[in-house]
Amino acid sequence: MENFTALFGAQADPPPPPTALGFGPGKPPPPPPPPAGGGPGTAPPPTAATAPPGADKSGAGCGPFYLMRELPELTGSTNLITHYNLEQAYNKFCGKKVKEKLSNFLPDLPGMIDLPGSHDNSSLRSLIEKPPILSSSFNPITGTMLAGFRLHTGPLPEQCRLMHIQPPKKKNKHKHKQSRTQDPVPPETPSDSDHKKKKKKKEEDPERKRKKKEKKKKKNRHSPDHPGMGSSQASSSSSLR
Amino acid sequence: MAEKFDHLEEHLEKFVENIRQLGIIVSDFQPSSQAGLNQKLCLCVCLSPRNFIVTGLQDIDKCRQQLHDITVPLEVFEYIDQGRNPQLYTKECLERALAKNEQVKGKIDTMKKFKSLLIQELSKVFPEDMAKYRSIRGEDHPPS
Repeated sequence: MENFTALFGAQADPPPPPTALGFGPGKPPPPPPPPAGGGPGTAPPPTAATAPPGADKSGAGCGPFYLMRELPELTGSTNLITHYNLEQAYNKFCGKKVKEKLSNFLPDLPGMIDLPGSHDNSSLRSLIEKPPILSSSFNPITGTMLAGFRLHTGPLPEQCRLMHIQPPKKKNKHKHKQSRTQDPVPPETPSDSDHKKKKKKKEEDPERKRKKKEKKKKKNRHSPDHPGMGSSQASSSSSLR
Repeated sequence: MAEKFDHLEEHLEKFVENIRQLGIIVSDFQPSSQAGLNQKLCLCVCLSPRNFIVTGLQDIDKCRQQLHDITVPLEVFEYIDQGRNPQLYTKECLERALAKNEQVKGKIDTMKKFKSLLIQELSKVFPEDMAKYRSIRGEDHPPS
């Protein structure tokens, strides 16, 4: 008991009687005399009837247990994802593999969007940190302003040729990307270029595609499910007999 | 709520398409392309409004009023600036939330075990006070 009181009553003031700590008969303790030097415990100790400042209001009716508070209903012991009905979202994003590139999220957006924004100074971060100075409204361009948009004829330099890239319309099942006629080819190492060229040639060769189609047709002709083969098979089987 | 996003998405897609067509015109400019370029840029009686760049920007600006309460975390912009899928941010948020949930649940379970042991031992030393505590706690919450 003395050790317990020493833990909670170790102050410059004279130790209050044990009843003040709530571990005795239910008698309100008398207020101690104020110390001459103005120690840390200048305020009278809180009684059981009055709640100490800063304590929860629910603690006022909790008897001698001043620091007792109501436990919150929602704690970390509950599954918060099910509590906030995020199971579908969790299964959608964490159950399946989410593709890494931005072009998978925005497939119809033209241009090379998978490149970092810092390369061509098109980052959203720079737009937030240094917003461009604009007027309050968008005014239509008048005839005299159009004089500034008179362009010279001829093609653009290769550095600026990015916006006319067509967005990919077909979903490629092949792992290797099919080269587009208008895409700028990124620089490749000499060791990989031959291998990739061979693979690209294999995939893009129209003659190879025709051969594949012909093979498929031949397979279908010789399959038992093919309607044309039923009569021929019957004739062949009858001839064997 | 999805409607206002659909409107904005529609206007953005039209605007991006107009810009793309402008880019095609400009990439290999010919003298006959000047008229088409002017039509894309400015107001014209014969063409439909969807080809106008300025009206496209005005339409997008009008959508802003409907979306003033939408907040986007800045961390998503970092993903987009790196050319990564922003859905990865949602995925990582959910995974971090679940991991933190599990971590806190472990702490709570450990503290509950400590609480039961502490009540058990305190009841041996302070039976009356612990009886009061249990009666108070029993009113508010069931004993754990």
